[in-house]
Amino acid sequence: MAVLVLAGTRKGLFLLHGDDARTRWELEGPLLTGWSIYHAILDRRDGAVYAAANNWVYGATVQRSDDLGRTWSRSEQLGLPEESGLKLEAAWHVEPGHESEPETLWLGGDPGVLFRSDDGGSAWEPVAGILEHPTRDRWHPGAGGLCCHSIQLDPGDANRLYVAISAAGAFRSDDRGETWTPVNSGVAADFLPEQDGPPEVGQCVHKLLLHPEQPERLWQQNHCGVYRSDDRGDSWERLDGNGLPSGFGFGLALHPRRPDTAFVTPEEGAENRVTSDGRLGVYRTDDGGASWSLAAQGLPEPAWAAVLREGMASDDLDPAGIYLGTQGGSIFVSPTEGAGWIEAAANLPPVLSIEVARTA
Amino acid sequence: MVTVLLPSLLAHESGGRNRFELEAATVGEALRALPIRNLIFDEHDDLRRLVNVYVEGVDMRDRGGLEGRLAAGETIRIVAAVAGG
Repeated sequence: MAVLVLAGTRKGLFLLHGDDARTRWELEGPLLTGWSIYHAILDRRDGAVYAAANNWVYGATVQRSDDLGRTWSRSEQLGLPEESGLKLEAAWHVEPGHESEPETLWLGGDPGVLFRSDDGGSAWEPVAGILEHPTRDRWHPGAGGLCCHSIQLDPGDANRLYVAISAAGAFRSDDRGETWTPVNSGVAADFLPEQDGPPEVGQCVHKLLLHPEQPERLWQQNHCGVYRSDDRGDSWERLDGNGLPSGFGFGLALHPRRPDTAFVTPEEGAENRVTSDGRLGVYRTDDGGASWSLAAQGLPEPAWAAVLREGMASDDLDPAGIYLGTQGGSIFVSPTEGAGWIEAAANLPPVLSIEVARTA
Repeated sequence: MVTVLLPSLLAHESGGRNRFELEAATVGEALRALPIRNLIFDEHDDLRRLVNVYVEGVDMRDRGGLEGRLAAGETIRIVAAVAGG
């Protein structure tokens, strides 16, 4: 077996090929030159690679490759209906559908939109339950636009999925995407005018992940803290005391088997978006977020780096590998669950996303 | 018959072809016949804001825009606006 890292960058897609030890890496790319790759992923159901690709002149599209990046085909139909008064500004995140729906894919985009494809990514239909959500007038774009950046599927229940939109919050569907319930109870939105408690929507989720072994458990790195939910988003516990230098950040990765173990990369704050304390510091919790400790051996210091919302990932090997990409164009890998890091690639364009897959 | 010339990214997305010769009465008809139509027009069929089009070296906007009539043998060139970073 081998490990494949898909690194979406502002200027094309790069692939990193490694063996199971994950200490030596071979760089391939750039692929899809001319496109900013906000996110790329290998669909483990059929081996296809999908890339959410954007060009400042030619707009947003989804590119698909069936030969690990040698050739690509572009989606044929992707856009918003005229009656919505909206146009697609960017393609953000591609998520392969449930195992029971082999041709289905989901795509998140700006302005706060979700698409579904049932033909392997050629034609995409906007999901009306998000496009016409009754709270949409209370959603506000952040620095990255009104981006739908997180799509999480419950592996045990094809009816249930989650999206997160900045700054609209997290939403859950229990009917395969037909209707969506805001799940932001207890999540702060300090950037909004003072009110009695957190609002129903408008939260700035930076990244939302579901733990595959315990799918009722969700984690989110938010503009206003790190949170965990153990009831499918119905309630959230804030976790960014006890060892984290800041609650602000973007990157989030989960251990593939241990639901209490997570990794974040805190930044100074919304007005100074660099990694905390003049170092590139990853913090790890092994107790569900009750406490955090620095896991930065091998990461640069001093450093004023930035890791974007799609910039962290984990693999499913044992020990688990943790990955991060920086806006400075480096990719760091910890083959030891954060106990030590190596720089697997440097001097790339700004890294927008990291995904990891196993290949034969 | 008119000729349409594409910049490199559009040529790549057209399977490597940077030149198309086709029958079209107007600029819009020529552009909509291209295999990269959905890259130069958005989902509401509006020409994307940063796509510039020249006919015989003249900005299409000075020749009637997408409705501007074409004469046989004319050349359309698509140029991406100077933008980005």
